[in-house]
Amino acid sequence: MRIQRFTLVLALLLLAAAVYAVFYFKLYQASAGQEKTVTLLLKSKNVRSDFWQTVSAGAEAAAKEAGAVLEIHGPLQETDADSQAELLDEAIDRKPQAIVVAPIDDERIVRELQRAQAAGIKLVVIDTPSKLKPAPVSVANNHLEAGRQAGMAVVRATRDKPYLAIVSDFKDSGVSAEREKGILEAISPYPASYVGTYYGEDSEDKAYEIVKQALARKPGLNAVVALNEAAALGAAKALKEKEVTDRVTLIGFDSSIYQIKLLEDGSLKAIVVQKPFNMGYLGVKAALQLIDGKKTAKTTYIDSLIVTRDNMYSPENQKLLFPFNEK
Amino acid sequence: MFPARRPFRPIFPLKSIQSSISVAFSCLILVTIAVTSLISYRLSVDAVEKNSQNYIEEVIKQVNTNIQSYIDNMENISLLAMTNKDVKYYISNNSFISEEERRPYEKRISDLFQSILYTRKDIASIMVFGYNGRFVSDRRITSLNPNAKIEEQPWYRNAKNEGGKSVISAPHVQNIIQNEYRWVVSLSRELKNTDGITADGIFLVDLNLSVINDLARQINLGKKGYVFIVDDSGNIVYHPQQQLIYSNLRTEHIAEVTAAGSGDSFTVDDDEGRRFYSVQDTNFGWKIVGVAYAGDLIGYKSTLRNSILITVCGVAVSLLLSVFLSHRLSRPIRHLQKTMRLVEKGNFDVKTEVGQMNEIGQLGRTFNMMVGQIKNLMQEIIDTQENKRKGELQLLQAQINPHFLYNTLDSIVWMAEQKQHEEVVLMTSALAKLFRAGITKDQEIVPIRVEIEHITNYLLIQKMRYTDKLNYKLEFADAILPYRTLKILLQPFVENAIYHGIRNKPDVGTVTIRGKETEDAIVFEVEDDGVGMTEERLARIWETPDAHDLRRGGIGISNVDERIRLFFGPGYGVRILSEIAEGTCVTITIPKVQT
Repeated sequence: MRIQRFTLVLALLLLAAAVYAVFYFKLYQASAGQEKTVTLLLKSKNVRSDFWQTVSAGAEAAAKEAGAVLEIHGPLQETDADSQAELLDEAIDRKPQAIVVAPIDDERIVRELQRAQAAGIKLVVIDTPSKLKPAPVSVANNHLEAGRQAGMAVVRATRDKPYLAIVSDFKDSGVSAEREKGILEAISPYPASYVGTYYGEDSEDKAYEIVKQALARKPGLNAVVALNEAAALGAAKALKEKEVTDRVTLIGFDSSIYQIKLLEDGSLKAIVVQKPFNMGYLGVKAALQLIDGKKTAKTTYIDSLIVTRDNMYSPENQKLLFPFNEK
Repeated sequence: MFPARRPFRPIFPLKSIQSSISVAFSCLILVTIAVTSLISYRLSVDAVEKNSQNYIEEVIKQVNTNIQSYIDNMENISLLAMTNKDVKYYISNNSFISEEERRPYEKRISDLFQSILYTRKDIASIMVFGYNGRFVSDRRITSLNPNAKIEEQPWYRNAKNEGGKSVISAPHVQNIIQNEYRWVVSLSRELKNTDGITADGIFLVDLNLSVINDLARQINLGKKGYVFIVDDSGNIVYHPQQQLIYSNLRTEHIAEVTAAGSGDSFTVDDDEGRRFYSVQDTNFGWKIVGVAYAGDLIGYKSTLRNSILITVCGVAVSLLLSVFLSHRLSRPIRHLQKTMRLVEKGNFDVKTEVGQMNEIGQLGRTFNMMVGQIKNLMQEIIDTQENKRKGELQLLQAQINPHFLYNTLDSIVWMAEQKQHEEVVLMTSALAKLFRAGITKDQEIVPIRVEIEHITNYLLIQKMRYTDKLNYKLEFADAILPYRTLKILLQPFVENAIYHGIRNKPDVGTVTIRGKETEDAIVFEVEDDGVGMTEERLARIWETPDAHDLRRGGIGISNVDERIRLFFGPGYGVRILSEIAEGTCVTITIPKVQT
């Protein structure tokens, strides 16, 4: 009897040890054994697109920091919804734990994202808001705030007497609408400060024509805000031609080598630049937090920065204006 | 001083040796394994940390050497330019070079720069700016960026301020050439005139930042580890997450790095995880820092996992082993225990197996011997008891010896016929007393007085029967009266003396019975002056009485002797001396037994 009881105790002890060991390794593998997998789907994976390359760099930084496996895909053209839908489809089939996507505005993409949600893949939308319901976690540039910053810059440059025209691209562009709204908010305290918004449709020539006509029709015009690169280049050309670059303040959005040159020669007073590195970084970081089951903000806004000729070569701004991407 | 020691009472009383041994073994094993694994864990963690720190240090040294070699190379190029006569002449503030003469100089210098650039892929550009407004680069046709003010560039200003010493810039975008925006690290130096005092211009070498970037990026410091560079005033020169730091999304331990000397390393432990920083100084002011995370040091975790698995298996096996060992060790004890239980029940014929001659084997052997001895003793007791009973039976027979009774009754009848009434009364009362003395008392030993009375009555009867043949004398010392003796001790000897000694003697014989005290015993003597005995007869007397004797109611001398020995011990008994025609003397020795 005595021996039996003792053996029983010992057996229980051994069992406990075994359970402990199994439990320990289960925990261990759950925490370290399995690596997190995140797929990043860009609007464009073109190496010439500094913006998306920088987003990639930020995403990679976040993945490395967390020791996660990151795959990056994207079509060559920013407007190629077909191939983005296809890439998304393939990505869902590989079943990553999370997908970070910069969706092109298209029905097919929304459908694919619904499929991803149904498959239990965590979704983070970056750059452009998605029409997906329920709205997924998003990390985006605060375009309204960026517009407001541009508007404030105009106000400062015109010494509180702004009279500005906006050169946008398309009427239905969400990003441009947001920027426009921000600009108008900034100049609303000033009477008779708004000439109008014109749509240059991503064409330098059209923007050139628009600004030329505006200058002719509204001699008091003292500021132009170009909401995209083509508009800024066209507007700068018109201003140079009329030799009014000193009098008319031109503000652009997003950096490119051409805009930088305009900034250097003074025809562009300032450009409002986004922080694509931060967007990639925070997008992947949000995805990793979703995988861990942590709470994340529904929407994370990334602020923009206004860069002028004087501060464009400061260490911080150099990094933003001249993305150093490993090509 | 010490409190009274209470008897040791364990919390879990263990009732068998096996469980005690197994528990002791298990505790020993568990404690040993726990302690050793703890120590080895600590040691291995220390070793891994130390190794990885050394490794990081080595790697960073290597990075340092590489970057240093790039910078040294730029330095050498600048020295080359400085000592080049064409360059000196070209930028010197002299007016004797005409516009036409300038072209060959420009071409020669440009060729020189180009050939250097051709051998060095890491160099982005080489340029010289004379204070006299002249400018040569490694390209034949160079158009400078009209919007870039060279004099305001940090590399230009710093070189001018340093006056001849070379200056290394932080990584920056070089915008002085039109349409070129390259990330570079610049080395600039003010060039002196041949007199060594007057400054003539600034020399610039640009190193592609991608060289340093690639170098830092290729360093493998685990999955998450990285390399970063700060300058002597704590500004970040290179960091893989520079933009995050500028946006305040991330912080870096710059203050600690700036405070650390070359070759120093320190450990940081915050919510990002434990990591090691290793700092190396370059000789141009930069600090190169390697960061490795403790969590992803190679082989760290898998080794730990294996060692824990092995430890658990080891514990399990050793626990089983301890059960097995304790079972084996306690088996002979349990065997002995089983045998003992049989003995307890009265079986003395068992024998335990004696295995190895260890303590338990010896115990078993001693146990076997003990059981044997007990068995012998028990047999002896049984034998003794049997003999005693036999003796008592014979005693009883002796008392009521039928022949003696017939003879006595015959004598009484004869005396009655003779009308000797007084004698009849005397004899009858003596006979009655004789029997009462023997039968009534149950005890084995009686006061010597009773025995004397008994033998007196007996002799009275015999005297009346053998009036003219028997005389007797009783000589008992008064000192022996308080002691006790076995009952009917003397009668058999007196009987023998009468029947064998005196009856066969032609004339009157005398029986003398003495009782006296010696130092430590009481001695009775029954002496007759009868015919005596031959040696053979004397010898035969010691043998057990034969059937004839027994029938006659005689009691063997040997039986009496044995009875005395059994009762009082081997030191006492009967001694007989006999001489033919002289007589026999029987000496009976018994101890002094107080009433």
